[in-house]
Amino acid sequence: MKIKKKIIIAALSCAVLGTIAYFAYVFPFYEFEQNDYDTSLDKILSLDYLKTLAPLFIIIGLSAIGIVTTVCLRKQMLKKDKTYSRFAGREKSGNAPKQKPVPFMVIRWIMMIGFGFMMIWGGLIFGLKMSSVSIPILSCPWNTEQMTESSCYYLSHLNELFELPIKSILLFFGSTLLFIVLLGRTICGFLCPMGLIQDIMDKIRQKTKTEGISANEKLYSTLTPIKWAMLLIFIGLCFVGGNFCNFCPAVAVSPILAGMSTSLYVSGFLMIFVLIGGFFKRRLFCNICPLGYLIGLFHKISLFRIQKDCTACTECGACYEACPMGIKQIYTERNKTNVTDSNCIMCGECVKCCPEDKALSLTCAGINLYTSSRKDIMSGYTPKKK
Amino acid sequence: MRIMITREQERKARQDKRFISKETQTAAKYLRSIDELSGAPDGMKPFLDTLNRIYVEMQGLNATQKTIGTYCVIAPQELIYAAGAVPVKLCSGNYTAFFVGDDIAPRDACPLVKAVAGFKNTGLMPVYEDCSLMIVPVTCDCKKKIAGMLSEQCEVMTMHIPTSKGDDEIDEFVSQLYDMAARLEDITGNQVTYDSLAEAFRITGRAQYELSEFIRLKKGNPYLIRGTHAMTIMNAAAYMPAEQWADALHSVNDSLKNKEKSGRLVTNKKLPRILLTGSPIVFPNMKIPLLIEEMGGIVAGDETCMGERGLYDPPVITDDSFDGMMRALANRSLRPCPCPTFADNSQRIYRLKQLIKDNDIQGVIYHVLRGCLVYDFEYKRIEEELGQLGIPVIRLESDYNEEDVEQLRIRIEAFIELIKLKQEPEKRKTGRRYL
Repeated sequence: MKIKKKIIIAALSCAVLGTIAYFAYVFPFYEFEQNDYDTSLDKILSLDYLKTLAPLFIIIGLSAIGIVTTVCLRKQMLKKDKTYSRFAGREKSGNAPKQKPVPFMVIRWIMMIGFGFMMIWGGLIFGLKMSSVSIPILSCPWNTEQMTESSCYYLSHLNELFELPIKSILLFFGSTLLFIVLLGRTICGFLCPMGLIQDIMDKIRQKTKTEGISANEKLYSTLTPIKWAMLLIFIGLCFVGGNFCNFCPAVAVSPILAGMSTSLYVSGFLMIFVLIGGFFKRRLFCNICPLGYLIGLFHKISLFRIQKDCTACTECGACYEACPMGIKQIYTERNKTNVTDSNCIMCGECVKCCPEDKALSLTCAGINLYTSSRKDIMSGYTPKKK
Repeated sequence: MRIMITREQERKARQDKRFISKETQTAAKYLRSIDELSGAPDGMKPFLDTLNRIYVEMQGLNATQKTIGTYCVIAPQELIYAAGAVPVKLCSGNYTAFFVGDDIAPRDACPLVKAVAGFKNTGLMPVYEDCSLMIVPVTCDCKKKIAGMLSEQCEVMTMHIPTSKGDDEIDEFVSQLYDMAARLEDITGNQVTYDSLAEAFRITGRAQYELSEFIRLKKGNPYLIRGTHAMTIMNAAAYMPAEQWADALHSVNDSLKNKEKSGRLVTNKKLPRILLTGSPIVFPNMKIPLLIEEMGGIVAGDETCMGERGLYDPPVITDDSFDGMMRALANRSLRPCPCPTFADNSQRIYRLKQLIKDNDIQGVIYHVLRGCLVYDFEYKRIEEELGQLGIPVIRLESDYNEEDVEQLRIRIEAFIELIKLKQEPEKRKTGRRYL
């Protein structure tokens, strides 16, 4: 009975999602009188820039309101709960033990911020030298000034793709496939600006010490059908006359920041969902991202791997708790050394949290990039010298 | 009537006196044997002193804070420290108390539980009497019933331990930890807050850091310290505040590092390296590790819950909030725990295999306390699995008395001879090369 109910709910939510996607242009979030895709450095430095940023401010404001109301609502709900209520609302000024930053994580953040910057203002500053290269990334191609092309536009508009000259098609497929094989979902963890936004939201939550949503199989199993629906919308919408770009939350970021006045439809609402969701559950959108799922299909031939030494593992489950994608087999696996999953975004969070020496490692073409070590984990606990 | 009462009192006093003298004698005897064992590292004294103070001088913990007794490592110490109290592990290995408890608990109950019942019945042990609250995680039937027995005499909180480790079970355990924190707050009068919990994480984290250093040193060279000494250190952790214990262990680590540098090992001979696993080995029931070392083996690793397993796994905070820390505790307590109370416990086999690999183990001694069914159940599977690796395993059943020492001695001696026989050719080869 329970399963039946679940299937119905999942099917319904998928249907709603599909309808919203199809009629996306009917729900304007913020409309400019005229969309203006011309931009320059001067425009960004002028006051006009603020006007183009208006929808972004609205999104941030609404998300903040949403987060605050959720937190307040939860507090109200907890008041009735006997076990939790007495611990709520107590002072939290101190700091929990935290491990020292490891080079891998520092590099990851630098890469994410740097690449995010390039995908927004790269073309304006450095010129469009690499614009014929397509990276499978959810960074809006409406921003014509981004450093490289994103494959998401033609993947979601396949009918337009085949009208292009053959050279462009080959270049598109060639560069996309090359990046998929070379990097795999490392793109999600290292390059994607949507990932950066969600990671920033997560950092804010950790800084404010707000409780998040913990890893739970049920949550992930409800997200799976939504992910497939998203994939269907992503690829199929162009054939039935819709436009994925009206629906895609990524539109709400880079074109606006690049100084283009872009009208937002459902994507604006979705961006609020991405921000609030990303605040409470790290990288929630990545769990339903259709493009990420497509890249993940090729994880077996990608160069980046998570390797596990099964004898060293104590099944403490810290990796699962830390994993933003809810990959469980990373700690339950007891035979294979390669535990890379199609969902893995190579964020290195599991390796960071693993307390066993050399139990987990992140490798690229056999070269160790990051290995778990007990010393790193315990670095937050090392005694203060008296 | 009055005469009867005074007679009764006199009888009780005589009994108590006899109990105390017998208890102190056995404890002192085992402490002496541990002390006399060669190759102890410098800095062992605080640990021996602690055991001496508790069991021979029969004193309490000398702590200004309230003490909270726990009967299993699954009850997280961090919460107790966060509530401003000191945890003490009350699982007992005492022979004298066992004899008292033998009359109270049923015949087939395990000796550990009988000893606990005995201590509580005599009411003479300050460590037990000082406890403001006893936390009993229900890991087996004996623990469940002992919780009921103890609750007649003092405050007891039971914790339900799930039989598997799924997400729902972890969530359920988190809410139990909240209950535990609330109970601790009621008793100590202090609040468990984000800050106090973070501080508690640091306190135990430091002890865990020192322990991981200790294990690393031991791993590198199995002859650096005798396993009996290591087990004594781990047993003393039950009665020492974590900070004090970490300080003491730090100096032991320093001396081990010096020993490693100067090459002063416990012995220059190649002794058979034994791994001890199975039912907990609690001071003063140290006869098995002592016999192993006496018979010319070396306890190179132990996988028992009073040993390294108890403190080994650190809680990993993945979500920086109060709830996140509680979850980290629940996660640490359940998921890595290779306790046979869980229905599927194949991870214990992996843990054993890892210990065998790390410590270069040649033989495994599987210790079963009489009546400890859960551990006994797992013996067969472990024997099969380790047999495939070519590691001999022997099952030793023992009780809390000294009647079986001779029998154990013969079996351990034979087992060690067997291992020596196996390693003989290799030894000769290396010997020739050096000649």
